[in-house]
Amino acid sequence: MSDGTSSSTWVGRIGGVCLLALAIAYGIGGSQIEYAFASDPLGPRVMPVLLAMLLAGLCLIYLVRPGTSERFPRGRLLARILAVPALLVTSVLLLEPAGFAISIFVMTVGVGWVFGAPLRLAVIGGVGQALLWWSVFAYLLDVYLPAGRLFG
Amino acid sequence: MNLDYLWHGFSVALTMQNLLIGLAGCFIGTLVGALPAIGPINGIALLMPIAYTMGLPAESTMILLAAVYCGAEYGGRISSILLNVPGDAGAVMTALDGYPMAKQGRAGEALMLSGLSSFVGGMLGALGLALFAPLLSGLAIGFGPAEYFVLMVFAFATLGSMVGSQPVKTLIGCTLGLMLATVGLDATSGAYRFTFNEPELGDGIDFVVLVIGLFSVSEALLMLEHQAVGVTVIRKLGRMTARLDDIRKSIGATLRGSAIGFVVGVLPGTGASVSSAVSYTTEKRISDTEGTFGKGDVRGLTAPEAANNATACGAFVPMLTLGVPGSGTTAVMLGALMLYNIQPGPMLITERPEVVGGLVASLFIGNILLLLLNLPLVNIFARVLTVPNWLLVPGILVLSIVGVYSTHASVFSIFLMLAVGMVGWLLRKAGFDMAPIILGFVLGNVMEVNLRNALAISGGDIAILFQSKIAIILWVLAIAMAVLPLVAGRRSKAKAPATAVSPETSV
Repeated sequence: MSDGTSSSTWVGRIGGVCLLALAIAYGIGGSQIEYAFASDPLGPRVMPVLLAMLLAGLCLIYLVRPGTSERFPRGRLLARILAVPALLVTSVLLLEPAGFAISIFVMTVGVGWVFGAPLRLAVIGGVGQALLWWSVFAYLLDVYLPAGRLFG
Repeated sequence: MNLDYLWHGFSVALTMQNLLIGLAGCFIGTLVGALPAIGPINGIALLMPIAYTMGLPAESTMILLAAVYCGAEYGGRISSILLNVPGDAGAVMTALDGYPMAKQGRAGEALMLSGLSSFVGGMLGALGLALFAPLLSGLAIGFGPAEYFVLMVFAFATLGSMVGSQPVKTLIGCTLGLMLATVGLDATSGAYRFTFNEPELGDGIDFVVLVIGLFSVSEALLMLEHQAVGVTVIRKLGRMTARLDDIRKSIGATLRGSAIGFVVGVLPGTGASVSSAVSYTTEKRISDTEGTFGKGDVRGLTAPEAANNATACGAFVPMLTLGVPGSGTTAVMLGALMLYNIQPGPMLITERPEVVGGLVASLFIGNILLLLLNLPLVNIFARVLTVPNWLLVPGILVLSIVGVYSTHASVFSIFLMLAVGMVGWLLRKAGFDMAPIILGFVLGNVMEVNLRNALAISGGDIAILFQSKIAIILWVLAIAMAVLPLVAGRRSKAKAPATAVSPETSV
């Protein structure tokens, strides 16, 4: 077995352990759901507990035979991948204070750059997309989007 | 047979507004299909909330989404043929003979022929749907809660055995979906489940948030790793008409592909990736006497292309008549119906004939529009393939944010979408398919409610689940679906390795 597959098997197993932990936590949580009445013989607890047992069982099978998974990214690639959600979080935080257009501009420039565009092109693309989407949604399709508290 | 719903549907689908919506959907769908990274599920997930907030009526939204779905099955072939990179999961097999044809300078012919076979597959699939839907919903009207519960079990059994090559992962995905569906207020007891005192979770996890997170956000992250390197678009298209000889030669393949595609589409949970693979291997077994398959044989091109279009139509059969989606994409459309508070099931066709009929009629109209769009405009669609990822991915992310924000106007739901997207990315890295999660989520509430209703009727006696004839038949089918592939798999293992059905998202 090559190095790549054996390491990805381990990644799969770690995932399996996480899912098993989820099943246990979900099952315990499910068995403690509080309710005043139930109009049916099962009540709200049984389904979650059954699902937790099902998931736990499936996880055990999965842990024995994790099958194939992709190689997990490392180093620079991982940093670039994590930059995308970071940029998204930033633009979502900007959304209501600074408005849709600015928030989208920041995100499109950043993500464009992460995806390998030269900075100048990324900025041009960002301006273009911010204008395009703002006019499409706010004017053409009449979808509500925040204009930004800073300006209003 | 009562086809009144269909005539009513044509009067709905042929209004000016719905025709334009259908045309827009066909166009967007072809683009979505042609782009290698995004498939029909992404297109529909991103359009669904926008159509809803624009205030489109349910039937118009369904027409739009169905047009996108069918358009994507047409569009997928373009990048398969010109790039050797399938535009969506249903077009994987199209590349096997389509790309060699393009390399021989016959790209234009391949596009035309596959466009024609897509049309035949789509039309036959729509016809099958129109005839089959009233029959099946008539049968299912006798279903009580117990039968419904068993039907869901059957749906998951089919899914576990047919989607992807790793059944355990598929079943884990379904279970995760079912678990996510339990979040929120439990209607029968008034209990809040897994809401962690967060008021925004009181109504449960929102469908739009889940779908966009699982598909679009995680896809954007995956694209960073899978940036295609060294693929070149074949620019020389050659003659842009199909040869009469080739058409004659591929009639049989197209018809067989359509039939296989429709049947696979009707089975719950299996989509175009399965049907195109089955039709290609079947056609190869029947017709490949001279070993020309894989070297640009027109029959190898047209069979899977007809199949994936017929599958798209077939997948609507269980969705519209039973409320059980026939593919990942129809699962998302089922969620769209629920946005409109429409409960799918056998009564849908009589209660909301404008929705069912409008959708079915729009498939006929849409296929004609798609043929008209695809033959002359194929050059324009081919140019889309050159849009760089650094423009495309931010665009997808903008649409994701707008989709979620427009339905909720809350920043919390966008953060939830991001979290779901990250988890989805991890799961996809580990080889999990996202479609079963959506299927589980969509069916989760219905499954639990029916189980509890059934047991309320019987006073807690689980024998009710095994009492009626229909229920017993469904149990037998479910067990057969779960066990047969294992037996067949063991047998064929000795022979050649199984055909690669990529466990991709866009089933």
